[in-house]
Amino acid sequence: MKQNYDFKIDKIKNLSSEEISLRKKNLDLFYQTGFPNKKDEDWKFSDLNSILRNNFNKIVNNDFLPREKEFKIIDQFEHNFISLFNGKLISKDFSYEEKNKILINNFNYKDNLVLDSKNSLYFLNNALATGGFSLEISKNYKLKKPLVVYNNFSNSLKEEIVNYKNSIILNENSELNLINYINNSSKENFMVNILENIKVKKDSSLNNILINNSKCNCYFYKYIKSDLEKNSNFENYFLSSGLKFNKFDVEINLNEENSNSSVFSALNLINKEHQEIKTRINHNAPNCNSYQKVKNVLNDESKGVYQGKIFVKNIAQKTDAYQLSKALILKDAAEFDAKPELEIYADNVKCSHGSTSGSIDLNSIHYLKSRGIPEKEAYQMLINGFLCEILEKLSEGKIKNFLKEKLERQINGY
Amino acid sequence: MLNIKNLEATIDNKHILKGLNLNIKPGEVHAIMGPNGSGKSTLANVLSGKNGYEIKGDIKYNGESLSELSTEERAQKGIFLAFQYPLEIPGVNTNTFLRTSLNSVRKAQGDKELDTLTFLKLIKEKASELGIDEKFLSRQLNVGFSGGEKKKNEILQMKLLQPKLSILDETDSGLDIDALRIVADGVNSYKSKENAFLIITHYQRLLDYIKPDYVHVLSNGKIIKTGDADLGVQLEKTGYSNIV
Repeated sequence: MKQNYDFKIDKIKNLSSEEISLRKKNLDLFYQTGFPNKKDEDWKFSDLNSILRNNFNKIVNNDFLPREKEFKIIDQFEHNFISLFNGKLISKDFSYEEKNKILINNFNYKDNLVLDSKNSLYFLNNALATGGFSLEISKNYKLKKPLVVYNNFSNSLKEEIVNYKNSIILNENSELNLINYINNSSKENFMVNILENIKVKKDSSLNNILINNSKCNCYFYKYIKSDLEKNSNFENYFLSSGLKFNKFDVEINLNEENSNSSVFSALNLINKEHQEIKTRINHNAPNCNSYQKVKNVLNDESKGVYQGKIFVKNIAQKTDAYQLSKALILKDAAEFDAKPELEIYADNVKCSHGSTSGSIDLNSIHYLKSRGIPEKEAYQMLINGFLCEILEKLSEGKIKNFLKEKLERQINGY
Repeated sequence: MLNIKNLEATIDNKHILKGLNLNIKPGEVHAIMGPNGSGKSTLANVLSGKNGYEIKGDIKYNGESLSELSTEERAQKGIFLAFQYPLEIPGVNTNTFLRTSLNSVRKAQGDKELDTLTFLKLIKEKASELGIDEKFLSRQLNVGFSGGEKKKNEILQMKLLQPKLSILDETDSGLDIDALRIVADGVNSYKSKENAFLIITHYQRLLDYIKPDYVHVLSNGKIIKTGDADLGVQLEKTGYSNIV
């Protein structure tokens, strides 16, 4: 079969010969298998290879900065920001914060390229990644305002892949509300492959929110590897509706006692959109909690996937782990696949999981209509109610309202 | 206002209404009583435009054929059904629901939609008339409400939307005496020369508080007897079996 990609390392500028050789090795490893396909257990519900084949003629790697660097700043709440264009760090603004408490730099590839990998997209990222950022919050510093990372993708991207890596470190007793904001409004197909490493140190707390601004033809993959220390807290909210394809691959390592993590997701998928949330929660220490709630609304011929794994190590006694997936399937051609997995080696733990899928309750629709609410709006209200529930725990009022508004726009068709 | 001629309704091959006739004029209060399974709730469902019924006969509302109107259009034109079992809608805030509902009706009637502040002022007023605690309004719609609270919420919606024809489907069931009085007061305070009521009930109890102009006995899908308020009192004493 004809290959539908052509990647060149020599497009990347300023590489040492050592880096070039390491990147080439990674690229060779990628070429051995190509993009992940359904034969790979981790990708059995999301055959990326055939999805890309059906939608791209030839994917090439991108390593140039667009001339357009304009983007719209969110005006609903005050915030610090970092702005990336096609993965490259362009500007930053931390004017709400104390100086020297926040370190922000371009991602340093020299010391962070490895051959170690779990799937071919990692190899590809290792071979082609440029740009990205590393962010470090000082010990005992709690950011006064949230930080928005504007992930802007230029409209000139066409049949191209953007690869980058980020690193986020919260030092002891620090706090950050982070909003990853995907921003693109072109009609062209392009791909994004991000690897992100997160360290949440002792007594720290990170809210990690991801939201997609508008409908775009982006094929998105993000792998997040996170390590949590004692008494730390890591909450994730994924609201990525509008992407053509998306897979969040999230690994959370609860490495020390009394750490907490959660994954919340609310997606409203239309047309042929395909999104997967894959989690692996490793309870490596006693007395840790993990909570996952994944909600999908599936219209048209869309497909939602949730693969959630909870691993409990033998020493991880008094683990409390919970996962729940709920899907509303609105059309016969829509599909939802869930694969919950529990692997438990400790004997004093509380682990539970559940998965339901069904259609919308027509009696509820009738009730709303009988109050004069038009049918379309009645559906939107129920869907909105179903999805918005995952935001209940979020304590930041302004962010919550912002996300609710965005979610409503995603449901009501922008 | 409402003219029902020879109405038949079938659902899942069950023939439930078998030629029902009923005429309601503005300002009138009609009660429909009848044993279980006589078709009382089916009548309410059919009037509200619920899907799933196969319908024959003719229903005219202010001269317009009801069968051509969707559920929401009926509501927008002033037909209100207080549900026997109001639905719990998780994730939907009661206030948001009430405002969307009121504004949908206002919009359809050519009135200006209410902004949030004006709406909140109005709803607080209406809620306090019915002794509904404000905090209910910020909760999810009917979720975790007691039976009495749900029914009061229905009457609140009625008073908010100001319908011309209000159909109360067993609104008295599940109510204690105090709640029953509050609900009845709510209805009585809304009675006027323009507004009509169709009260569906098993028991005379509610009719002690809301005095009907007509009482109809529904049995096996037809109205078999019509009288004044005394018929309800008589039924309470003798039961349905003497009539049916």
